[in-house]
Amino acid sequence: MKKLICLLLALTMVLGATTIVTAAEADEKIQLTLGNYPPDTDEAMIAAFDVYIENFSKKRPDVEVVPAHYFYALDTIVPMAEAGTLPVIIEPWYTEPQKLIEAGYVRSITELLKERGWDEMINPSIRDLLSKDGEIYGIPRDAYALGMHVNVDLFEQAGLVDENGVPMYPKTWDELVTVGTQIKDATGSAALCLLAQDNAGGWHWSNIAWGFGATLSVDNGDGTFTANLDSPEAIDAMEYIRDLKWEHDLLTADPLTENWGTGFTQVAVGNAAMYIGANDALNQTTVVNGLPLEDFALIPVPAGPGGQYSLNGGTVYMFAANATDEQVDAALDFMISMGRAPEVGAELIEGMGADAKSRMENGEPVVKRFPAWVGQAYSDAEAAIIAPFLNVDMALYQDYFDKVAEAGNLRLEEQGLTQEMYAELTKVMQEVLTNENADIPALMKTADTNYQKLLDDAGIGQ
Amino acid sequence: MRKLLARLYGDKSVGSIRAYDAKSPLTQILSVFFVLICALIIVIVLLPVIWVVFAGFKDIRELNRSTSFFPASFDLSSYVKTWGQLHFTEHYINSFIVLIGGVFCAVIFNGLLAYALGILRPPGYKIVFGLVMWTMLIPPTTSVVAQYLNIRSVVETLAGLMNVKSQETLLAVAPLWFIMGANAFWLVLFKQFFEELPKDYIEAATLDGCSDLRVFTHIILPLSKPIMMVVAIFAATAAWSDFLLPHLLLNNSRWSTVMVRLFEFRSAMRVNDTDRLRAVVFSIIPPIIIFSLFQKQITSGIATGGIKG
Amino acid sequence: MPVSQKKNINRAISGWLIMLPTLILFAFYVWEPLLKIIQMSLYNAQGFTLTEFVGLDNYKSLLANPDFTIAWKNTFMYTFWSLIIGFCVPILLALLITETPVFRSLTRVAVYFPNILPGLAVMLIWLFFFKPGNAGVLNNILATVGIKPLTWLSAKGWTIPLIVVTMTWRSAGSTALIYMAGISGINPEQVEAATIDGAGIIRRIFSVILPSLTGLVKVMLILQIISVFQILYEPLMMTNGGPNNASISIMMLVYNYAFLHFDFPKAAAVSVMICIVLSLFTALYFVVSGRRGKE
Repeated sequence: MKKLICLLLALTMVLGATTIVTAAEADEKIQLTLGNYPPDTDEAMIAAFDVYIENFSKKRPDVEVVPAHYFYALDTIVPMAEAGTLPVIIEPWYTEPQKLIEAGYVRSITELLKERGWDEMINPSIRDLLSKDGEIYGIPRDAYALGMHVNVDLFEQAGLVDENGVPMYPKTWDELVTVGTQIKDATGSAALCLLAQDNAGGWHWSNIAWGFGATLSVDNGDGTFTANLDSPEAIDAMEYIRDLKWEHDLLTADPLTENWGTGFTQVAVGNAAMYIGANDALNQTTVVNGLPLEDFALIPVPAGPGGQYSLNGGTVYMFAANATDEQVDAALDFMISMGRAPEVGAELIEGMGADAKSRMENGEPVVKRFPAWVGQAYSDAEAAIIAPFLNVDMALYQDYFDKVAEAGNLRLEEQGLTQEMYAELTKVMQEVLTNENADIPALMKTADTNYQKLLDDAGIGQ
Repeated sequence: MRKLLARLYGDKSVGSIRAYDAKSPLTQILSVFFVLICALIIVIVLLPVIWVVFAGFKDIRELNRSTSFFPASFDLSSYVKTWGQLHFTEHYINSFIVLIGGVFCAVIFNGLLAYALGILRPPGYKIVFGLVMWTMLIPPTTSVVAQYLNIRSVVETLAGLMNVKSQETLLAVAPLWFIMGANAFWLVLFKQFFEELPKDYIEAATLDGCSDLRVFTHIILPLSKPIMMVVAIFAATAAWSDFLLPHLLLNNSRWSTVMVRLFEFRSAMRVNDTDRLRAVVFSIIPPIIIFSLFQKQITSGIATGGIKG
Repeated sequence: MPVSQKKNINRAISGWLIMLPTLILFAFYVWEPLLKIIQMSLYNAQGFTLTEFVGLDNYKSLLANPDFTIAWKNTFMYTFWSLIIGFCVPILLALLITETPVFRSLTRVAVYFPNILPGLAVMLIWLFFFKPGNAGVLNNILATVGIKPLTWLSAKGWTIPLIVVTMTWRSAGSTALIYMAGISGINPEQVEAATIDGAGIIRRIFSVILPSLTGLVKVMLILQIISVFQILYEPLMMTNGGPNNASISIMMLVYNYAFLHFDFPKAAAVSVMICIVLSLFTALYFVVSGRRGKE
């Protein structure tokens, strides 16, 4: 037994010793750990990162770039942040910054941004998401706006494409019923994949509810919020999905088993014709789940009686609380190499090109991204760079891009306790979608009371 | 029928039915019924496993649209592709590293404490035993973050002393070995077993001047092979299957195990359901192989070890 | 006298030295984190750093959580169903395998087999079995006998029982093996005596075999309650607590507080409550097993 213990200890020591050498060498350099480094399954993206790192190392030989792929996940962020093992750069999505700032897991980068003048170049509404008490804690990576992923093949089978092969998609939620019924009759497939398994259900539904004129969490302007889940408009929107399920039977077999990931699969394999999805997830339907590019289209979210909106979210870069000024400065320089910075220059252009090339090699649609930086120069530069990589028929995307460019179409997520609100809404959806005779006003009233209680308990209710 | 049954029940001396019951019509009906139920149980047990292996051959469209139990083709290349893409060779090696150290710690540490509690009984042993039993009631997930923070601070201190990066050395894995050494359930299994060992044998050795530790390694352990086997199997299964703490400790390192990988695939961006199912298949192959090799020892060991627990 | 006293002290020291390494592990992995949790449940915290003492406020504000009551209720429902389904199945399996004329060792190996499969892998497989629509495995099987596709886990009233079925599928075998060992420990003469008294095979099961398993049954019952009470991953992975909270468990509440909302004090408060309830159950365990020891 003793021998075995010795053996184990010796093994630990040896493995430790082998790395001492490498660790000692790197001691002098600034360590830049990249949490945004792609996972090992994503070879095309790794190739693009090789280009970024090479360019960056020429410019900043004093920095050692350490790939440290970290997929932002709620169950790991806390332990890692508490233990101080977060990589310098992390990539959370738009709902997270305030929580992370509140918990003290990320650091302010206001001064470093001001030196570069980048603070003025962030889209103001996104800057608000990233700020607290006048300090800025991150920069945007990119934005998305919800639209609908479409399986064009199913539209074609139902005779719903024009002479150019572009689907004659529903412009309003009412039209979705007629178009959807045609598709269902012709193909047997569902018209819409609606989510109701987890909070993503409430998230997608809130976009539908806006179309019916609802505002779900009223911002009182003084840091407090009032629950407004039982407004007549919200009830209309909930009744609409009840009708989709029970009156028209246009949904997939059981929305309660659908989550963000399964939606893409259902569209790709032809079980559903449409699915609320964003422009930053085009690869999900096409590359990951195998829908050919020519059968894929992206359309705007339909309009309702209360208007037409696209939920606008995105991903940001934030910096670990224990990162030094030098590390953050290096990280910001790395943003330029990646083509994610607002300064248009040769290096930025090369970075963007590498990104577009990797997307093309992956077989995903290369269409423009939504920069969250203000400034025409950036957008123009991107348009010029991706042009040679264009691998899709833009007609299948044009209406989406036109619609989200219209003033007033983009709408940020509801504020307050957003995830808790989604959870309450998802519960109502689950009841409505499993019980034909659910009392929707009563359920919405309960959800409203519950959400208000949570707001009050958190000290931000009114 | 009667003769066949009489022969089948021949020397049966456990349970209710005996060879002399073979002539009763009730026994005859029941025995046929039993055989049918047994066959059904075997199907129910194996069906999900066979299904998942078949499903791994399907493509994403087939998986979601086809109503056939069998895949359209048995083309192994899909498995090979997923294996390579998801780097399963590394994860297998890592899983085995975690498992071997974990089994070792489970047997040694729990065995040592059980030996002290069951045989040596130093003053105060009852309090210690009470405390240990109490830990059975604590859902492990409740304190996982506190646990993680303890582990990180020790690991980082050691890494600092050794001047290495913890994530690149076995320091990242070692906490998962030692945690296996603090398991109340296995400890009780050991304790119950030790308490039934012949006392005079142990006392004789003590009188011969053997140290307590020597008695443990030279007398107790050799006598305890069956229970060591049981705990080793439990520990191996637990070490192979655990994912939350390993996921917290090993993500971001080169030590990621098979189950950590499978857990991360829930939300992974570039993995679809067919990849997930193939990963499931990879995750169940080693337990199946080990089980096939040791099934006799495992099933009889569980029964004898378990009854005393 | 002094010699033996010295010997006793030496023995005590060596006993404690042997316990020490494992006790350190217990302290490090279990006790200290637990104390931290208890302390945290009484404080406000930023992340994991305590900020101010608030007494029982965290416990009070649990009541504002709309899921709190239902989660407790469901947890008792899981326990209830696991007693209905999960508790009887192993006993039946043990009797069956003991009495079957053929397939005895094969069935014995087969029922234990699911135990060695990783729980996470098993949950993923069952998810596909319960898939709604035509592509679900169980729906496929039903289709062959002409039954229309069901929605399984989303069907009202079925969620918890079905989750318990999958848990039973995985764990019944190991408990069955323990009962089988218990049965084979029964003195054959007892059975013979019952036979001579004219008892048929069924009577023998009820009058001899089952009564002698009572002690074992009580212990397994408590162990089962303790383990089912901590159910987390099955609902988390399979239903996410739905439909409309029908399967949310109390441990899921802990998980959600800790990992979804970073609200550790409240996660800690729920944890402490679970520990208290389980301690009550265990008091029961000790009463039961203590009595068994005396018998």
